[in-house]
Amino acid sequence: MKPKLSRFAIPYVIWMALFVVAPIVLVVVYAFSNDLGGFTLENFSKMGTYAVVFGRSFKLALIATLICLVIGYPVSYMMSREGERFQRAAMVLIMLPMWINFLLRTYSWMSILENNGLLNQVFQKTGLLSLYNSLFGTSLEYFPMMNTQGAVVLGMVYNYLPFMILPIYSVIVKLDGSLVEAARDLGADGVNVFRRVILPLSLPGVLSGITMVFVPSVSTFAISKMLGGGTELLLGDLIEQQFLGGAYNPQLGAAISLVMMVIVVVCMVVMNRFGEGEEQAVIL
Amino acid sequence: MSKELIRLRDLCMAYDDELVLDHLNLYINDKEFLTLLGPSGCGKSTTLRIIGGFTAPLSGDVLFDGVRINDVPPYKRQINTVFQKYALFPHLNVFENVAFGLRMQRRPDPSDPKRNTKLPEEEIRQRVLEMLEAVSLKGFENRRTDALSGGQQQRVAIARALVNRPKVLLLDEPLGALDLKLRKDMQIELKRIQQQVGITFIYVTHDQEEALTMSDTIVVMDKGTIQQIGTPEDIYNEPKNAFVADFIGESNIIDGVMVQDKLVQMYGRQFPCLDGGFSENEPVDVVIRPEDIDIVPVEQGQLTGTVTNVTFKGMQYDIIVDFRGFKWLIQTTDHSPVGARIGIKIDPDGIHVMKKSRYSGLYGDYSSFSDEYDELDTVEPEEGGDEA
Amino acid sequence: MRRRNCLGSRALMALVFLFLYAPIFLLIVFSFNKGNSNIVWTGFSLDWYKSLFQNRLIMRSVYTTLLVSLLATAIATMAGTFAAIGFYSLRRRTRTALNTVNSIPMMNADIVTGVAMCLFFVAFFTFWGDFSVWFNGVQSVVVLPERLTLGFGTLLIAHVTFNIPYVILSVGPKLRQMDKNLVDAAQDLGCTWMQAFWKVILPEIKPGIASGALTAFTMSVDDFIISYFTAGSSSSTLAMTIYGMTKKRVTPEINAISTLLFVTVLVLLVVVNLREARAERTGQERHPVSQKLTQMLDTPKGRLFRRGAAVVLAASFLIAVVLLTGATNAQPVVNVCSWGEYIEEDLITQFEEETGIIVNYQTAESNEALYSLLKSGAGDYDVIVPSDYMISQLIEEDMLAELDYDQIPNYGLISDRFKGLTYDPEERYSVPYAWGTVGIIYNAAMVEEPITSWSAMFDTQYAGNVLMFRNSRDAMGIALAYLGYSLNTTDEAELREAFQLLKDAKEQGVYQSFVMDEIFQKLEGGNAAIGAYYAGDYLTMLENNEDLAFVVPEEGSNWFMDAMCVLKDAPHYNEAMAWINFIASTEANLANMDYLWYASPNQEALEQYPAYYEELYEEELGQETYDIIAAPQEVLDRCEAYLVLPLETRKLYNDLWTELGI
Repeated sequence: MKPKLSRFAIPYVIWMALFVVAPIVLVVVYAFSNDLGGFTLENFSKMGTYAVVFGRSFKLALIATLICLVIGYPVSYMMSREGERFQRAAMVLIMLPMWINFLLRTYSWMSILENNGLLNQVFQKTGLLSLYNSLFGTSLEYFPMMNTQGAVVLGMVYNYLPFMILPIYSVIVKLDGSLVEAARDLGADGVNVFRRVILPLSLPGVLSGITMVFVPSVSTFAISKMLGGGTELLLGDLIEQQFLGGAYNPQLGAAISLVMMVIVVVCMVVMNRFGEGEEQAVIL
Repeated sequence: MSKELIRLRDLCMAYDDELVLDHLNLYINDKEFLTLLGPSGCGKSTTLRIIGGFTAPLSGDVLFDGVRINDVPPYKRQINTVFQKYALFPHLNVFENVAFGLRMQRRPDPSDPKRNTKLPEEEIRQRVLEMLEAVSLKGFENRRTDALSGGQQQRVAIARALVNRPKVLLLDEPLGALDLKLRKDMQIELKRIQQQVGITFIYVTHDQEEALTMSDTIVVMDKGTIQQIGTPEDIYNEPKNAFVADFIGESNIIDGVMVQDKLVQMYGRQFPCLDGGFSENEPVDVVIRPEDIDIVPVEQGQLTGTVTNVTFKGMQYDIIVDFRGFKWLIQTTDHSPVGARIGIKIDPDGIHVMKKSRYSGLYGDYSSFSDEYDELDTVEPEEGGDEA
Repeated sequence: MRRRNCLGSRALMALVFLFLYAPIFLLIVFSFNKGNSNIVWTGFSLDWYKSLFQNRLIMRSVYTTLLVSLLATAIATMAGTFAAIGFYSLRRRTRTALNTVNSIPMMNADIVTGVAMCLFFVAFFTFWGDFSVWFNGVQSVVVLPERLTLGFGTLLIAHVTFNIPYVILSVGPKLRQMDKNLVDAAQDLGCTWMQAFWKVILPEIKPGIASGALTAFTMSVDDFIISYFTAGSSSSTLAMTIYGMTKKRVTPEINAISTLLFVTVLVLLVVVNLREARAERTGQERHPVSQKLTQMLDTPKGRLFRRGAAVVLAASFLIAVVLLTGATNAQPVVNVCSWGEYIEEDLITQFEEETGIIVNYQTAESNEALYSLLKSGAGDYDVIVPSDYMISQLIEEDMLAELDYDQIPNYGLISDRFKGLTYDPEERYSVPYAWGTVGIIYNAAMVEEPITSWSAMFDTQYAGNVLMFRNSRDAMGIALAYLGYSLNTTDEAELREAFQLLKDAKEQGVYQSFVMDEIFQKLEGGNAAIGAYYAGDYLTMLENNEDLAFVVPEEGSNWFMDAMCVLKDAPHYNEAMAWINFIASTEANLANMDYLWYASPNQEALEQYPAYYEELYEEELGQETYDIIAAPQEVLDRCEAYLVLPLETRKLYNDLWTELGI
C-alpha cells in the first residue's frame, strides 16, 4: 500500500559506508601501520615531535575563531534586526564571495600585504610609515605583514567569517519576537534581554559557527602556505607534506589526520551536548 | 437509514508494543452521523485512520458494503477525510486545493469505454465553484490557503473532501483549532451539510458536547475498547459505566448497594429508583446528574450536607456540597451561601444504577473541583505513523 | 524590539563587508589592468579577457569545474532528497545514528576527507587491478580495464559525497515541518503514493531542495582541498589550477575568469531574490506562464511530451557524461608532468597539431613532491621530468619503463657528455631535457656588497629578507656546500650539522619564507633581497627586475640534469615516445632554451642558441648571459651533481626536513 519510505535511505547508506566510513577506516589502518604494512605505534610515538605544530595550529585557529565570533556575532545580531529586504541583500552579499575561489581571494591578500604591497604603499604615501618611524625611532621601509602569524590568522578570519555569521544569523532570525517582549514584560532591560534570552537561545548557532570556523582553520594548508610563507608549519601543511608534498610518509600523515579527526569528534560531541538536535542551525 | 455500510471486525492495533485497539467491533450505517468519542489515546483516531486506509490494522477486517477493503489503498476508497488542522496543500490556492481530488479522478471515456479519461476542466470548475458556494467561500478561489482564517480553512477542507462525492466523510477533530463561538456555528453547519449531502459522517472528537449536539450515534471509547454505543440520549441518560457517566456530562458517582430491584442504598439510606436486574445486595455505582438533585430544607432532605463552594454559571449555580467527606456537584437555580447546611432530594428517575466496572472509584468525586473535561488534549500518538 | 541603533550597526556591517569585498574588488579592478601586476595599475584594457579564452589550461579547468559541480549537484540533490525522505521515516535512534555519519564529511576537516578518500581510491584501484587480472584470466566475454586511476570519476564521487550532506541538511527540516497529514490527504483525494510524492511532498520540500542544491553547488565550486587529493593528474579544477599558479605567478586571466563568474552569480542571485521578493509581496504563487505551461503539460499529449522530455533529458545527461569521460579515451592522449613553467607552451600546441595527440600537461613542485604524487597514486602520468638523483631512485624502485629508443631518433642529437650519466649509466630510461646550476639570486640594490658565498643564506645581516628552498635536497645541499661537505654525504653527523645550520638560521629569523616558484614574484617585486634558485630562472626574473644579480657561490654548488622518463605501465606509451622525440628535437630545444633560460642537452641547440637569440631579438646574446644559462666548465668543476641517497639517508632527510618545518 504505502512503500516503506525508509527504503529510500538504503542507497545512501551504502554510499556512506563506501565513501565516508571505509576511507576513514583506511586512515585508521594506515595510522597504525608501517610502510611495509605491519602494525606499529611508531607513527604516534613520533607525534611528540610535532607537538609544536599542533600547538601552533590550535593557537592560530583559536585566535581566528575568537575573532570571527567577536565580529560575526554582532553582525549576525544586527542583521537580524534589519528589514526584510536588507537581510536578504546582506545574506546574498555574505554568500557571494564564496563564488570566487578562496585561493584567489587569499592570493589577493598577498598583493595587499606584501612588503611592497598595496597597504604598505598606502602607508608610505600617506606618510603613516614615516610618522611611525619618527614616533618610535625606527627606520622601517615597510611594515612586515606577510609571512607572519598575523597574516595567517587574517587569512583564516577572512575565509571563514561567513561560516560564523550564517549559522548564528539563521538561529537569531528565527527567535520568536514575543520571547523578547515576554522578557521585557518580566522586567529585563536591554542588556538582560540579550544576556538571559537571546544569547542562550542563539548558543546552538554560535557553537556550530565555532566548529565551522575552527575545524577548517586548524587544518588549512593553502592559507598558511600563501600568507605564512611556509615558515610556520600548520597541521594541514604537515599532513599535505606527508601525502603529496616533499616528505612522503602516508602512514605518519594518516596518524596526524587521525589525531585531528579525534579532535573534530570531540568538538561534535561537545556541540551536541550543548545544542541538542539543532542541526538546522548549520543551514545556510 | 439503517442499511449497514461499514463494519469493523475484531480490529487490533499497536504502536511500539502498546495496544491502541483491542478487538474492536463496530458497524456503521449508511447516512448516519456517527461520533467516536473519547479521551486522547483512546484509539478513536486510529480507528478513523484504519477506515480511511492510512493505517493497516494488525489484525481484524474492515468491510465496506460487505466487501473486505483492508488492502484497498486510500485513493481507491470511496471515503474522504477532513484532517486535523485540515492538511491543506500550502503550495496550492483554494481552488486548486478543492479541485485536487477531481483532477486525480479518472472515469471511462464516453467515446471509448476501455480508456479512462480525466474529468473535463469545465466540469471540475463547475463542481469546485458549486462546492465553494455550498461552504460559503464563493470568491475565495484564488486565495492562498495560509491567508484564510481558521474557519475558512476548515470549510475549504470540507469542500475539498466533499467535492469528490464520497460515500463516507471522515472528520478527525475538525473543530479543534477553532474558537468557541465558531465551533458552535460549525457544529450546526456540519450537521446541516451532512443532512444536505446525505452521506455517512464519521466524526472523531474528545468534546462530549460536540458529540451530543451533532451525532446520530455516539461510540464512547477508552483504552482501545468501546465503552458504549448509543444515541446521545442513551449515552447521557443510561451510561453503562463510571467512565461513560463521567466523560459525558457531569456526574456524581457514588458507591451503592442494590438492595433489591428499584431500591438502592447509599450512605446507609435507601433510595427508590427505576433500575433493576441486579442480584440482591450487589455493590453498584450510582450516577446522579447534578441537575437531577433538588435542594430542600434540611429537615426534608434525603441527605444533608454543607455547601463548600458556589460558582455562578449564568443559567445556574454550580454548588459543591460535602456529604460526609464525599463532594457532590449540584446544579441549581437557587443560591445557597457557602457554609449553609442543606438537604437534598432525588427523584427515582434521577438515579441511574450501573454495574461495578474497572472504572469504579476513579470518577465522580468533586473534591478537587475543576473543569476536568477541559484538560484533555487532542494529540494522538504520532510516532510510527508511517509504518504500514 | 524594533528600536535599532541604525548608524552604529550599519557602520559595523559596512566595515565587515568592506573587509570581505576589498580583495575581490582588487581582483576585479586588476582584471582590467594593462600590465600583469596585481599591484601597479598601468592602464585599462580588456586584453586579459581576450587571452583568457585562448588559455587552454584555464578554460579546461573552468570546464572541469563547472562540469563536476553541475553533475555533483544534480546527483547529490537527487540522492540527498531521497536519502532525506528515507531518514525522515526512520526510527529516531537509527536516524540519529545515520545523521551523525552523514555529518562526518561536513564536520571533518577537508584535508582529512580528501586524504581518506585518496587512500581509499588508491586501495580500491589496487584491489581492482588484481581482481580484473584474475577476472579477465578466467573468462573472455567481458574485458575489465585493469588499470583505474584518479580522475574525473573519483573527483565526481568525492564531490557528490561531500555535497549530499548539505542537501539532506536542508531538506530534512522541510520534511519535519511538513504537516504529516498532507500525504494522507493527497491519497485520500485519489493520489497513489507516487502521485502524492510528486504532487504534494515535492512541492512542499522544494525550497529545501533548492537551497540544498545551491549550497552544494557553492561548496563544489569553492572546494579546493578535497579536489586536490582526489582529482589525480588528468582533471584539474579551477581551484587546482589557481593553486598551481599561486606558486609562481597568477596570470590576470584568472582575475578575468573570476570576475566573469562573480558577475554571473551576482546577477543570478539578484534576479532570483528580486523575483522571490516580488512573489512574496503580491502573494502570487505561480507565474502565469508556468501555470499555462503546467496546464498544457497536463493534457494527454502534454503528458507524452513530458515523458519524452524526461527521457530526452536523462539520455542527454548520460550521453554527456559518457562523452565527457570518453572524450579523453577517444583521442590519443599523453599525460606529462613537469615543473611549473618549464616548457614553451607553443610546443604543446605544435605537438598537438602535428600528431593529433592531446597533451595533458601537469606540474609538480619538486622532485620530492613528484615522488609523493607517484607513490600516493595521485599522479597518473606517462612522461615525467625528474632530476638526476630522483631518476636513480625511481629506477631503483622499479617505477620507470625502459624507453624504446628506436622511436626516439632525436636521442642522437643529445650531446655525448650528457649521455650515460651516473643516474642512468646504461642509457635505458631517460632522455635529457635541460640542465643548469643552483646559485644565489640577489637584489643588488638591497644588499651592501656583491654576494659570493653561501654564507649569505645563513647571515642574520639579511634576516627576514632571505628566501630558502622549500625542498629538502636543495636546502640541505646549500648547507652542506657551505660547510664544505659533499652534497651526497651519507654521514649522519655532517647532515645533522647542516641541518643545525638551517635550523639556527630559521630560528634567528633569517628566512622570510621557504619557497619554490613563489620566489619569482618575491624577488621580482623586491619583497625579498636574497634567494637561492636555479640559474635559468634568474634570467627570467631579470626581465622583470633589473637589480637582480646571480652568482654560483665560491664554495661550489649543485649542477642538475632533468630528464624525461616514462612510468612503468604508462597507459600511453607510444604517445609518450612521440612526445619525448618531439621535445628532444633541436627546434624544440631551442624554443625551450629560449623560454626557460635553462641549458639544453642538445648539442646543436647549445651551439645554435646565440644565433637563434640574435635572430629572434635582433640583439647579441652576451657571453655572460650565455654562461649563466650554460655554465662553463670551470663553474661545473666547482659543482657536484646529486646522486641517489641510500634509503636510510633519505629517511633522515625526511625526518630532518619535517623537523625543520616545525
